[in-house]
Amino acid sequence: MMEKNKKVIIVPCSGIGKPYGTVSREAAYDVTEDLRPRQTQLVPLALLVLGDEESRAVVAENQAITIDGCKLACAAKMVQQSGGTIAQEFAVLDFYRTHKDLKPQGIAELNEGGQKLAHALAEEVTAVVDGLLSANEGGENA
Amino acid sequence: MPELPKKKVGIVSCSGEELAEGTITRLAALKVLEQLRPADTVTICLPLFLAGGEGDRAFAKFYPTIAIDGCDKRCAARGTEMYSGNPAASIVVTELVEQRGLGKPEGKRRLNEAGQQAVEVTAGKVAELVDGLLHKNWNRTAGAEEETTVPEEQEPVQATCSCGSGIPVQEVEINGQLVTLIALPVIFQHFKEEGKTATLDMASELLNAVKIYNPVSLDEEKTYAETLLREFALFYENEGTTK
Repeated sequence: MMEKNKKVIIVPCSGIGKPYGTVSREAAYDVTEDLRPRQTQLVPLALLVLGDEESRAVVAENQAITIDGCKLACAAKMVQQSGGTIAQEFAVLDFYRTHKDLKPQGIAELNEGGQKLAHALAEEVTAVVDGLLSANEGGENA
Repeated sequence: MPELPKKKVGIVSCSGEELAEGTITRLAALKVLEQLRPADTVTICLPLFLAGGEGDRAFAKFYPTIAIDGCDKRCAARGTEMYSGNPAASIVVTELVEQRGLGKPEGKRRLNEAGQQAVEVTAGKVAELVDGLLHKNWNRTAGAEEETTVPEEQEPVQATCSCGSGIPVQEVEINGQLVTLIALPVIFQHFKEEGKTATLDMASELLNAVKIYNPVSLDEEKTYAETLLREFALFYENEGTTK
């Protein structure tokens, strides 16, 4: 169970070679900036790679949701290596398999399908965030 | 016939999600990879140095690598150095923005005009560094390499990453020490398929091929050449017995 005032950490992959990486980034922004800005915090993967103390501490003290673009699952692996607890792992590729009508294209700029896929994924991530927070006595959901 | 990997430049961006400058590194890297120098560049996701395998970690040893960082934490440069190899060059967007007197970039998801300008400037700088590392002299006014009679045009492509590429390596003993040589198995295979045998005059040719992917100091060249010839003979022998 999460303690009061703790945030849910969102860690997207930093994938640069496939549209799925961009979807993970966009979904993370949707959650942390639009849908649950006060209840979540985005942690950049690059800082975890570098072993940044502050980022490691944030990940270690809060539950994390990882969003990976490909099967290599860098975000999940890095959170684990940083001593974090993953509440839920999302894989864009798996999510796309259940939303075949939303084919993501473009890396620098997602097509409409990719943007919709990111928004849909963000909604699912938000539901998990809410679930984690509702288990937290006195947690706010919106 | 196996293809010898073409000498390319590796691009590693921090892609920091927390800052507009991180978005600039990502978009600048993509611009170089997709539009400016698609034939000369490859990329890998920074976390793969930890989350990936040995082939991923060999990236910066195999490719002279340019690290593009958004801020002075320099995650891409330092991460590459820690886990893969020293970057050949490094750019920090905040420094470049200050040097060029650009406006403050804003907007992690949608860059403002200053941010978009910073993408152009950063990408241009990276392309210059790529040319320098490949010993090319790109004339920006002419949009072509200097001292090249027929300018090599590069068709735009969609960037792909080199994750899980498994760059081939082989350990050999040189002066009593084990040295990991990048691309050696592919070089041997290529030489064999070209009908070349382990004769003395082949030593310098092998050395030159190996030097494309590995640093060899002048005073070690003779030892390397002898070792490579010996290893090539062994390779030939083993290949012969397995077929």
